[in-house]
Amino acid sequence: MSNDLEKELRAALRHVDPAPGFASRVSARIDSERHGRWLPARYRWIPAALAASVMLCLIAGYGWHWRREQQGLEARQQLLEALRLTGEKLDVAYRGVQDVSKSPASGNAGNT
Amino acid sequence: MLRLLFMTMLPLAASAVVRAADAQLMLPDFHALEAKANESVNVTLDSSLLAMAARFLDPNKPEDAAARQVIAGLTGIYVRSFTFDSDFAYPKEEVDGVRKQLSAPGWQRLVEVHSRKDHNDVDVYIRVDRNRANGLAIIASEPRQFTIVNIVGSIDLQRLHELEGHFGIPQLKLDEKK
Amino acid sequence: MTDGDACSVCDALARARAGDTAAFAALVRQHQRAVYSLALRMLSDRHKAEDLAQEVFIRLHRKLATVQSDTHLRFWLRQVTSRLAIDRLRREPRHELVPITEDLPLASEPAPGDPLLQRQLRVLIAQLPPAARAVVLLRYQEDLDPTEIARTLEMPINTVKSHLKRSLEQLRERITGAADATASGRDATPL
Repeated sequence: MSNDLEKELRAALRHVDPAPGFASRVSARIDSERHGRWLPARYRWIPAALAASVMLCLIAGYGWHWRREQQGLEARQQLLEALRLTGEKLDVAYRGVQDVSKSPASGNAGNT
Repeated sequence: MLRLLFMTMLPLAASAVVRAADAQLMLPDFHALEAKANESVNVTLDSSLLAMAARFLDPNKPEDAAARQVIAGLTGIYVRSFTFDSDFAYPKEEVDGVRKQLSAPGWQRLVEVHSRKDHNDVDVYIRVDRNRANGLAIIASEPRQFTIVNIVGSIDLQRLHELEGHFGIPQLKLDEKK
Repeated sequence: MTDGDACSVCDALARARAGDTAAFAALVRQHQRAVYSLALRMLSDRHKAEDLAQEVFIRLHRKLATVQSDTHLRFWLRQVTSRLAIDRLRREPRHELVPITEDLPLASEPAPGDPLLQRQLRVLIAQLPPAARAVVLLRYQEDLDPTEIARTLEMPINTVKSHLKRSLEQLRERITGAADATASGRDATPL
């Protein structure tokens, strides 16, 4: 029985052919791999999108840095202008105090 | 115990915040004046902008080095200045509104100068806390110009003294008592 | 295989390793039946079997430099086909296996013996667990002995023998049970 079963098994499991053109289909897939198309078509936009994103980030980063520098220079200008005006008005106050202290009838008009 | 400590510290902290806030004046919106003015200066530098400006000050330039020393400890500089083509083109009420804020507790008038001849008025106010000035205000008015300066933060009057020669700041004989 | 045939195979392998695409295609044609049949009887689906068989040859193309001889090539093909098939079966959800239908391409010559029994056996083999199925196929389809099966599947030889013994017992029981049911007029055991 065992030998019969094994005989039947071998007969049942004889090799069968794949659909015609199998070797050509394999060659075609290998060719497409060899020409560097390692990405399936639906993913080929990814490297370009990544490169564009990196460029955008670099441009945005440079733009941000430039804007920050401009803001800093503007702030410095404003600071110097503010201090100049402060000094100018303090000078007016000082001269006023000096004038009052020099006048013979110095009251409390200039000083408090 | 911790709760008691917290309850004690909270008002002190709050008052410190209030004190700092009081040193900063509520300046009116001068947009309408800006449109009428020949020249205008509008400076608003809070602590972050002051820090940014400080980074761009060149220590090799005397003016920049002096500025750096003055602004150390400051938390704000606010300036509004307008110059007009005709006399008294600005509303006096706006200037008086700012002056009214300086009659609040804490502020002391340091100097008041009125010139009848050329109508130049300058008032210098200071806020002093524990022998240290934490606010400075200047209101200067002329027929064709008015200027408001408000400086907030730890103002070193000695440093202010030492700025003589820079920015035209004179040596002030300051009386810390009113 | 004659000496001439052996020479031509070794030639094709050497030329394929050197990048000769025609030689590689010749190797594919030479071994496609064995690879496809093993894939088909493991996966019980023509399309999946074609896809897996293509994958095996594409991997062969990448690894050609490591193949030393035709014997090594056959061993490599069986090993990779079995391994990929077992992996795919284990990834698939468990479901009722669809038996291979008789519209599948059969061997070019009519098989000796009982075609109905052979069909039954193919269906029963498709119901075996993946590892046991691979052992049975390598034994009775590829005609490997247990030692070669153990090397191909990287399985202990006693495990191989155990799979073979249990699988044959199951096949025998099911076939015998079906035969008894038919003889006594009862409904045949569902396949």
